[in-house]
Amino acid sequence: MPLLDALFNFARWLTHDQTEAEDLVQETFAKALRGFDSFTLGTDFRAWMFRILRNTFLTSRTGLQAKLTVPLDAEDEAPVAVTWETPEALALASASRDALQAALEELPIAYREVILLCDVEEMKYKDIAEVLSLPIGTVMSRLARGRKLLRQMLAGHHEVATASKKLDPIR
Amino acid sequence: MSCESWQTRVEAYVDAELSPLEMDSFRAHAAGCTECASTTLALIEAKGALRRAGHLYAASPELRARIAAATGAQASEATTTREPRKAAILSWPKWALAAAALVLLAAGLFFYAARTQRPSSLAEFADLHVADLAGSNPVEVVSTDRHTVKPWFQGRIPFTFDLPDLQGSPFTLTGGRVAYFHQEPGAQLIFTYQRHMISAFIFRDTPQLTISESAFSDRSTSFNLQTWTKDGLRYVLVSDVNAATLQQLAALLH
Repeated sequence: MPLLDALFNFARWLTHDQTEAEDLVQETFAKALRGFDSFTLGTDFRAWMFRILRNTFLTSRTGLQAKLTVPLDAEDEAPVAVTWETPEALALASASRDALQAALEELPIAYREVILLCDVEEMKYKDIAEVLSLPIGTVMSRLARGRKLLRQMLAGHHEVATASKKLDPIR
Repeated sequence: MSCESWQTRVEAYVDAELSPLEMDSFRAHAAGCTECASTTLALIEAKGALRRAGHLYAASPELRARIAAATGAQASEATTTREPRKAAILSWPKWALAAAALVLLAAGLFFYAARTQRPSSLAEFADLHVADLAGSNPVEVVSTDRHTVKPWFQGRIPFTFDLPDLQGSPFTLTGGRVAYFHQEPGAQLIFTYQRHMISAFIFRDTPQLTISESAFSDRSTSFNLQTWTKDGLRYVLVSDVNAATLQQLAALLH
């Protein structure tokens, strides 16, 4: 079951906790079985499962604590330019696996989840929008901001601390 | 188009989310712009690094067992509720069941005969090639660099293969994707020759691949095909370019 591993990996990254992630995945499968009627043929099954997992996470204790915060001023849909930060992108590309994992752990959860879905799970924007219940434009701008932050973290600018201070709950 | 207008879309390019037309025009732009090309390359590398770093946790055997038990229990509950329907089928007259069985058998034989009559699997590769080019995203990994394309397949297909340096040849590598043939995952590489697209399929050579001839022209679709095996792998080239050009690429890949 490759989907099980993918769901567990995502859950583990969201919760930072082995037991909680396992419970989350088990609940996801139970909910999926019960609600299989609500799955629409022709839509992406993987996205549907991730959506159930993510919604279950939002109602869990850790999920409520994390509150999926993103900077309010950043939540517009304006496209974000990469502004030619090739050195930063190279820093990310050449970072060690450990450094990358640490940076990903530290990233605010709203950015972490979108990067996990896009870069790790390699989902299409439209499926990510489905999982996160967001418009595609917001997915794209969150992705761009998240990646930018990650690149800066790995290039040695510790702007994540200041970025986190501005975080406000959005849902 | 200028660099600035691409700045907001270079990430979408790396995610293979631009329309085929935009993908092409960005590729054309990056071919003459070192800044865009190096940014793109760095972003592709970064995406790959993230993918490898992000696959960190796997489900434990205990979790696997827990879920199998839970889903199995629910599934058997579902079958018990369906019991009455099963009983209804059993109470059908015996002749109706016999007739249904005969119809199924006849249909099975018909399809078996239709399958075995087909000269080879090659025509199916032509179908894969056409279906892929008709899709909105012909490639999943976008790169003209063989050192990006080849590692991308790691963990996606159950084998690895050699990609030659195409520098100085008339062929350009535009990217690749995972293709499936008879439920077997394999690599599909897309090359361009002038404005023609060439698909190179690489699969493990299994008995299901009933291929005898080495070159083949599908007269009904006018596609040319070339195929050979090397180190237990089956290579199939499909394109609308002429047979001699296809032979030239085949020689490079050999």
